[in-house]
Amino acid sequence: MALGLLHLNGISWSVFRLGETAWLLQPKVSEKILEHVHSTSDLLEQSKIDGLQDIIPAYDSITLIYDSQFKYDPDMLSDISSSTEQHLSREKNIFEINVCYELGIDWNEVEVKTGLSKEEVISIHSTQNYTLAMMGFMPGFIFLDGLDQRIAVSRKEKLRIKVPSGSVGIGGNQTGIYSLESPGGWQIIGRTTESFFDVKKTPPTELKAGDKIRFKPISKEEFDKMVAKNG
Amino acid sequence: MGRMDVLDGGLFTTVQDAGRFGFRKYGVPVSGVMDNSAFELVNSLVGNSPDTPVLEMTLKGGRYRFESDSVIAFAGANMNPTVNGKSVELNSTLKISAGDILEFEYASRGCRCYLGIRGVWEIEKILGSYSTYNEGNFGGIEGRNLQKGDQLHWKEIQADFQSYTLSQKEIPYYSSKLTVEFIPGPEWNWLSKKEQDKFLSTEFKISSESNRMGIRLNSDFQIEAKSKEMVSSGVIPGIIQLPPNGSPILLMKDGQTVGGYPRIGKVLDIHLNRVAQVPPNGTIRFKKSD
Repeated sequence: MALGLLHLNGISWSVFRLGETAWLLQPKVSEKILEHVHSTSDLLEQSKIDGLQDIIPAYDSITLIYDSQFKYDPDMLSDISSSTEQHLSREKNIFEINVCYELGIDWNEVEVKTGLSKEEVISIHSTQNYTLAMMGFMPGFIFLDGLDQRIAVSRKEKLRIKVPSGSVGIGGNQTGIYSLESPGGWQIIGRTTESFFDVKKTPPTELKAGDKIRFKPISKEEFDKMVAKNG
Repeated sequence: MGRMDVLDGGLFTTVQDAGRFGFRKYGVPVSGVMDNSAFELVNSLVGNSPDTPVLEMTLKGGRYRFESDSVIAFAGANMNPTVNGKSVELNSTLKISAGDILEFEYASRGCRCYLGIRGVWEIEKILGSYSTYNEGNFGGIEGRNLQKGDQLHWKEIQADFQSYTLSQKEIPYYSSKLTVEFIPGPEWNWLSKKEQDKFLSTEFKISSESNRMGIRLNSDFQIEAKSKEMVSSGVIPGIIQLPPNGSPILLMKDGQTVGGYPRIGKVLDIHLNRVAQVPPNGTIRFKKSD
C-alpha cells in the first residue's frame, strides 16, 4: 500500500516503504515512464541529499536507500521534493557499440523462433536506437529498451552456466549486454569488443541509465583485430 | 607485519566488511557481513576500527597458522575453536603466538562465525569495500573463498587497548527456530487476506540451497495463480520475494539489486542478523511489524 504521493520533477509519484531506510517511488504517468525515471534519478543524484546512499533506477521505479544511521522522518519526502523542485533536461550520451554477430551462439534457435534469417535479425537489431533502461541482475548487466518486437525471442529453456563477458543477447522483448561473465538464460546473438565494466575503476563504467545505445555490426576479422589491439 | 597462513579454508570462508555502498545503480550488490552484530563485536574485541574486514566462516571454519604474535577474537556461531588443540573462548579478546594453529569445527550452534584480527589488513579495496562478492569474482582474496595456501597480512597497531570478554548475559542465543518481524512490502497487498493469514501462520524451513545471495524457504504455502506481471524493480537485503511457486526467497547481502518477483515484505535489519545464524533445516516464521 502506498504511503502517499509526492510531487517531484513535474509529476506525481506513489511512495512505498521498502525497508527501515529505503523507499520506492513509482511515477503516476502512463507515458514516457522511463524518461521520468531517468531524469528524476539524475536530479536526485545531483541534489546530493544527506544520507542518501544508493539510488536504483529501474523500468518503472526509483529505489532510494539511505544509510542505516538515517532516522525515519515522515517529512523526509516533502524535503526531497522541495529541495529538487526543478525540471531537468538531460544531455543524453549516445554510444556506438561494435558487435560481432558471427560470434552469436544461439542463431539456430533465434532463426526458428523469429521465422527470420540471421541477416534479417542482424539488420533489425542494428538499426534501432536503444535506451539503457537499467543495470542489474549482475554487476554491469545492461538492460536495453527498444527491441523491435519482430525479433523478440523467449529465453533459453535451460540456464547457461557461463555466458562470456561482452555477450549481446535477447531475452523476451528485451536486449542487453553481459558485461561480466556470468550464468544467463538469454539467447546470445553476438559479442562486443568493448569492456564496459571494470571494478578496479570508480565508477566502474561510463554508461548510465538513460544513455542511448546503437549497435554497429563488425566482422570476425575486425573483432579479432580490436581484441588484439586492446590487449 | 602480521601474517596468517591458511592451512584449510573451511567450508565457505570469505573476507567481508560492512559492505559496498553507492554502486547499486550499476548492479553491484552491497555484500558485506551477514551478521552485522557479530562483526561489530569482533572488531571491538580486538580494538580495530569498525571498517576493518573480518573472516566470515560458514557452517565449518578452517585451520590457520599464525606467523606472528597476534590479537584475535571470534564471535557468532560456536565452531568449537581450538588453539594448538586446546579449547578457547568465543566473545573474548585472545592473544596468540607465532606458530600457533587455530582450528574450527562444524558449528554446534549458529551458522556463521567471524574471526577478527587486530591490525590494518592489507587487502585491496574494490569499489570502496574489502567484501568478497563471489558471483562477480571480485573483492576480498581474488573474489573467492579462502583456500589452502592463502595468506593474510596486516600492519600491526602499537597503541594500547583494553582486552575484554563479553558477559554471559550479553551473548546472543542462536535459535534454529526463529520468528522475525517484517515491514509489509510494496506488493504485500497482492496477496489475498487468506494468503496473508496463511503466510503469517506458516513455519518455513530453510533450504540447504541457501547462500549469501538469499535464504530459500520451503513450506506448504501456496499462492493462487496471479495474472499481475511485475517488471524488475529495486530490492535490498531483507526483502522477502515471492516467486509464483510460493517458496519465498529472503534476499541477503549478495542478493541482486533489482528483482522481478513481488516484494511482500522486508525483514528488520536487527532480525536479519539472527536469520544469518540459522543453519539449513532451521525454521523461520514471519510476524508483521507495527
